[in-house]
Amino acid sequence: MNWIKQFFFRLYHEPMGFFGMILVALVILSALFAPFLTTHDHNALDIANRLAGPSAEHWMGTDQLGRDVFSRVVMGSRIAVWVALVTVSMSLGIGLVLGMMAGYGPKWLDAALLLLFDTLRSFPTIMFALALVTVFGPSLQTVVIVIVATTFPVYGRMVRTQTQALGNQEFIVAEEAMGAGMVRILGIHILPNIVGPLFIVASMDIPVVVTIEAGLSFLGVGVRPPTPSWGSILNDGYAYIRNTPWIIIFGGLPLIVTTLGFTFLGESLRDIFDPKLRRDL
Amino acid sequence: MLFYLLKRVGLAVVIVVVAVVLLYSMIHVVPGDPASVILGPRATPEMKQELHELMGLDRPFVVQVVSFLGKVARGDLGMDFFSQRPVAQIVFKQLDETLVLVLASIGWAMLLGIPLGCYSAVFRNTFSDKLVGFFSIGVIAVPSFVVALYSLLLFAVTLKWLPAIGAGESGQYMDQLRHLILPAFAIGLGWVGYIARLVRASMLEVLNENHIRRARAFGLPEHMIVFQYALKLAILPTITLLGTGIGRLISSAVFAEIVFARPGIGKLIFDSVVSRNYPLVMGAVLVSTVLFVLSTTVSDSVNAMLDPRVRERL
Amino acid sequence: MSKPNMQFSKIRLSRRSFLKASAASAGWLMLPGMGMYPSWAQDSRVLRVRDYGDPQSLDPGIASNLYEENVNAAVHNKLIAYKPGSKWAWQLEAAQSIEQVDPTHIKFVLKPGITFTNGFGEMTAEDVKFSYERIIDPELKSPIKGDWATLESVDVTDKYSGVIVLNKPFQALWMTTLPYMGGNIVSKKATLAAGGKFSAMPPCFSGPYVIKELEPKQRTVLARNPEWKGDPPGFDEIHIFPIDDEKTAEMGFEAGDLDYTRISMSSYKNMKKNPPENSVVEKYPSLYYVWLGMNMEHPKLSDERVRQAVQYAVDIPSILEAAYDGVADPATGFVPPGLVGHRPDTLVPFKADFAKAKQLLAEAGYPDGIDLDLEVRNKAVYIAAGQVIQAVAAQAGIRMTLNLHDSGSFWSLGDESKGDRWKKLQLVLNRFSSAPDPHYAAQWFTKEQVGVWNWERFKNPEYNQLYEKAMAEGDKDKRDQMYRRMQELMEASGAYRFITHEAVPVIYTDRIVPALRPDGMPLLRYFTTA
Repeated sequence: MNWIKQFFFRLYHEPMGFFGMILVALVILSALFAPFLTTHDHNALDIANRLAGPSAEHWMGTDQLGRDVFSRVVMGSRIAVWVALVTVSMSLGIGLVLGMMAGYGPKWLDAALLLLFDTLRSFPTIMFALALVTVFGPSLQTVVIVIVATTFPVYGRMVRTQTQALGNQEFIVAEEAMGAGMVRILGIHILPNIVGPLFIVASMDIPVVVTIEAGLSFLGVGVRPPTPSWGSILNDGYAYIRNTPWIIIFGGLPLIVTTLGFTFLGESLRDIFDPKLRRDL
Repeated sequence: MLFYLLKRVGLAVVIVVVAVVLLYSMIHVVPGDPASVILGPRATPEMKQELHELMGLDRPFVVQVVSFLGKVARGDLGMDFFSQRPVAQIVFKQLDETLVLVLASIGWAMLLGIPLGCYSAVFRNTFSDKLVGFFSIGVIAVPSFVVALYSLLLFAVTLKWLPAIGAGESGQYMDQLRHLILPAFAIGLGWVGYIARLVRASMLEVLNENHIRRARAFGLPEHMIVFQYALKLAILPTITLLGTGIGRLISSAVFAEIVFARPGIGKLIFDSVVSRNYPLVMGAVLVSTVLFVLSTTVSDSVNAMLDPRVRERL
Repeated sequence: MSKPNMQFSKIRLSRRSFLKASAASAGWLMLPGMGMYPSWAQDSRVLRVRDYGDPQSLDPGIASNLYEENVNAAVHNKLIAYKPGSKWAWQLEAAQSIEQVDPTHIKFVLKPGITFTNGFGEMTAEDVKFSYERIIDPELKSPIKGDWATLESVDVTDKYSGVIVLNKPFQALWMTTLPYMGGNIVSKKATLAAGGKFSAMPPCFSGPYVIKELEPKQRTVLARNPEWKGDPPGFDEIHIFPIDDEKTAEMGFEAGDLDYTRISMSSYKNMKKNPPENSVVEKYPSLYYVWLGMNMEHPKLSDERVRQAVQYAVDIPSILEAAYDGVADPATGFVPPGLVGHRPDTLVPFKADFAKAKQLLAEAGYPDGIDLDLEVRNKAVYIAAGQVIQAVAAQAGIRMTLNLHDSGSFWSLGDESKGDRWKKLQLVLNRFSSAPDPHYAAQWFTKEQVGVWNWERFKNPEYNQLYEKAMAEGDKDKRDQMYRRMQELMEASGAYRFITHEAVPVIYTDRIVPALRPDGMPLLRYFTTA
């Protein structure tokens, strides 16, 4: 447990990381305890009070249907955190498996997978997303598919490179000579060695993923209404930007808090554990 | 090196072809019919059929893809059935707008990011270096469309300093410039951070190299060392970063173009996806993918030229 | 308005380029006191308006969109045209006189001296004959064939006069055919020389303006026709910008880039209260009709009581308040107030009745409520309306899932020729445009339209009979009764919950005098400077 203590010690002395951790904690706590934090039912209409400014009753005002923006922002953190967790772990898993296959498998497989990675990466993300959304229709699942499809190649490529580098090292070559199976080599020797940097990259990917979800919802091709996503709150606000700017202001703030928090934290993690790591290997 | 180049270009071509096939197949499982959108509700089934044939939608999928690729190879992107104009004409016109936006964004980001990076490197580990670092990471993190929305709200809607939407009258440069400021600000802000950090890192490496130390030993003033010698070397990674950054830039351009209602290729793709305007979607995505692949290919090749180790990796 | 417009108006095709034609008042409005632009620019006789999209076909015979008609109306002539003003009426345009001699014969005399440009000579009765008869020619495959469905022939009497002969009486002719898309007269000689039809630039013009420039996604430029001998038009040039989104258009107007545009209903109140400098904000009644439709053949909705439960669970006042900003009035059917066939009241009250809805659901075997899918177009106003419907209906135990569609996907939802999606269709929030005669809207709900535009799959023999009869009925009161009955039949089927006709708020600069139809749509050729 010493390393945990050391980690927190280091983080404490890294003001940026510490700040990041506070922001991240804020977001995660609000996602966890969202139902207790909201002051109103986030989907309840109050048409008589629509587009009302911030007040003691509605801290962040109300939207065009009279829903409480604060409650929607708080509930929105659930969507953001959920999407982040699900997509990053899925991308990580797929990237890990495919990357190791590419790095350790036969050359043709490597070439094929590499081509897949590069092709998927060569699509400008948002166009790819738009194309996918038109196929599957806008929904939370589509958002997840879009994000996973566009982010796993990064992990795949990274894992492949690392696997290849490790696979050529003497102790692995020696194990192979002694007849060790592929599963054993990948599972025991390679996986533990690449998982660390991978997690750091993943933590740095969270703000990217949160941004994609919010961006798609902002374009109206993300989560289905009335589910509150920060992006769809921004979309609601965009239509009323002139007379009721608070919807945009309060819809954007949590996004900034989240992306800043995770980025600061991720950067510090990297500085602490693996200063040489680069995202785009 | 020649072998590397051949391989790299070959890969680029394959990527483009695979991308087209992928996109084509996705588009064709999409529900919704371009013919009913183009012709309107009063279209008779015969009219729709005729248009289908005209657009080639009645032919087998493979035939469509192959004929599309064949035409593309001859430089023909097909016709837009909505406006009856060649797709290439529309796409390239919009591409210009996007390129102007992207270049303006990256331009101001470099103008600010490079000096910031140099400053940080020279005064490394001081408070102001930390502050620049903090700022850089901060601006990288914040989504560009949020920056776009906030700056629209602040500068265009509230303060009314700058126009909210559009690209300005063509030919009136002052007007176009004014329309360019906010979107370019929104897209470029994150890049200021990227560039500052990258320049700082590579500058630190360069400053430690022997010939720079020697220059310092000769008593050359620090700013001269930094700007005359070190920067030339330290800027290289930034250049290659720009190559790979085009894709991301185009993606953020979509948002900026939508928020500021600017013409451009991102907006074109968004609009044509929505209206099922297949020929335009295909043409626009193809052109932007080619652009993206082209820029990564060039930057990879430059990298390979500079660093022989990279050549073996492909 | 034609129905196609409802579709195209929402497709985001537009390149939202706000061009500061003539450097106009833009900077001046945006930057008070900075004086970046010279004020002389304002004197420029250029009219800058916004329309929903680019004209796609400029042959009046094969055009079917409102924004094509807006251009066509300015560059061609019709025998009669809509009269600008607040009452639906027509005025003479190319005709010197026109009269209905009997229910199937209309005699007209052209004004002499109307010429086609590019040397195609004077407009004669032959051109009228050619223009109208080609629309019913199966060869042309005209999308507006229905407007002339009862045309037998146009008989030429002499150089300027002729008789339009119908094979049966058609009441809508005077309000939806002659003064609208079907009424444009093209040059026979020029059209034949172009191969019988044209799609892009017309070979010649006869109106007060000609098309000078077509730049898709950027603008269409009309210029004064030098050969025009009638009343001189109000402007040297008209620039039409294709902008689909109203909010964008509003910002463009505020930036001084436009002289006239329709604005969104949600902006109307604020703009009316604080109009941008030197501008006028007005609201017009609209012909559009919005309704919640139910697929009667879907297993969940085949029971009439379930459909009625949905009717009772939709609260019109809250939709109008939240989605339409209280600017629009409720609809009683597809005919708006002021037109023949308007129903004064509905069977189901506007206000929701949850107890009644629950009771109907329980009777139909759903005591614990029911889950239904509501298909909605991906546009702010419909999403808002959809969410209100969803939230309110939940109180009656009707749990709805909202599915959003972009226009491409939405407009093929109930179309049988597009696969099996129509079978899964349950509830749909729909909106059609219309024209100032009830016949126009009524045509989409016949049983022949099932699976085409009749997505509710409403088949009622009485409706069809009335539809045929009302088309020819010359007695206004009888006709009125027939259309009322038809809408009542629709509502009684349970498959329709009419919501609103919307409203058309517009804004224009005080340097122009717009010429608008009663529904706020522009008649560009009659616009003048103040």
